[in-house]
Amino acid sequence: MTMLGDTLRESAIFNLEGAVTMVVDDSPFSMTLTSSALSGFGIRPAFTLGSGLEAKQILQDTPIDLLIVDTAMPDIDGFELVHWLRRSAPNPNAFAPVIMTASHIKRAQLKRARDCGANFVVTKPFSAGMLLERILWIARDNRPFLEVGDYFGPDRRFRNEIWDGEERRANMKNTGRKGGSISL
Amino acid sequence: MTVITHTQRRSRLAEMVDRPGGVSVGSALAKASANLEVHKDQARAIIGDGIAALLAPQSPDLPEAVRLDLAYAASSQIIDAANPFAMDDLCTAAKGLCDLLDAAPRQGGFDWRIVTVHAQAMKLLLALPPQDAEARTLILSNLHEVLKHKLSSGDQAG
Repeated sequence: MTMLGDTLRESAIFNLEGAVTMVVDDSPFSMTLTSSALSGFGIRPAFTLGSGLEAKQILQDTPIDLLIVDTAMPDIDGFELVHWLRRSAPNPNAFAPVIMTASHIKRAQLKRARDCGANFVVTKPFSAGMLLERILWIARDNRPFLEVGDYFGPDRRFRNEIWDGEERRANMKNTGRKGGSISL
Repeated sequence: MTVITHTQRRSRLAEMVDRPGGVSVGSALAKASANLEVHKDQARAIIGDGIAALLAPQSPDLPEAVRLDLAYAASSQIIDAANPFAMDDLCTAAKGLCDLLDAAPRQGGFDWRIVTVHAQAMKLLLALPPQDAEARTLILSNLHEVLKHKLSSGDQAG
C-alpha cells in the first residue's frame, strides 16, 4: 500500500484540492475505495457516478480536471465513454486527463484499451501510491494529442528517442523526419 | 495514414498541482491508507462472497455462456475488493481464473474443476497468515501451472 513508484518522494508537496474530479464505477465498493484514496490525496470527487451514460451527460457541459473511470460497466463501458469524450470537441473535456482502471481486460478488449484515448489504463492490483503517482504524472503529462485513423488521444509513444531503423510508416517516408508527426 | 497533432494546452490539473498549500506525498499516502483501512473488513467479506459464489454448485439449467460470465464477474469482484489491500497473491489467482474463463469456449465444454481449484486456492490464500510466504508461493505456483497448461493447450475442457 505504501510502496512508492520511482517518481514519488515522500517529502514532495502537491496541491490537488481544487481539482474537479469525476469517478465513474458501477461497483459501489470500488467507488468507495477509490474515493477514500483520493480523499487522502486532498481530492474530494465532485462527481461519483455508477453509470457511463450519466457521466456522458455531465461531461457534455461541465468542465472537469480529472476523470477516473472503470472499464467494465453495464450501459456504456469505460472504453466507449473515453472514445466518445476524445471525439467530443469543442467540448473542453475532450482533452481532460483520464485514468482508466480495470480488474481484468478480456483479450477481445485489448485493442479497445489501447485505442480508447485514455492517458493511462491501470490494471489492478494497484496501490494508493501508484494511483497518486499516476495522477501526478498525468498532471504534468504534456504529450501532444494525436489523431491517427480512429485513434484520438495522447501520443502513445512514451519515449522520444530517434529511431535508427527503417521508416516503415508510409506517410512518414517522404517527410525526411524520423519519429515525428504532421502537426496542424 | 495521416497523423494530426494537437499541441496540448497546459491542463488546469497541471496549474493547480504546484499551487501553494497542499500536502506531502508521505502524508497523503498515510491518510489514504488510514481511509482505506476502514474498509478492509468489508473487502474481506466481499472476497469471501466471491469465493463462495465460485464454489456454489452451478445450475445446469443456465447456458454455459451465462455461467462463464457469472464466474468471471465473481472473480473480477475479488480483484476489485482485494486491490488496495496488498493482497496481490489473491489478485494473481483471481486474474488467472479470469484469463481462463475469458478463453473458455462459450458453447460449452469448459472444465469447471478449474474454477473449484482456483476458488479453494483463494480461500486458502485468504486464510493464511501474511508471513506464510512459502505456502503462498507454492499455491500460486500450482495455479500458474494450471494456467500455463490450459492456456497453452487451448484446452479448458475436461
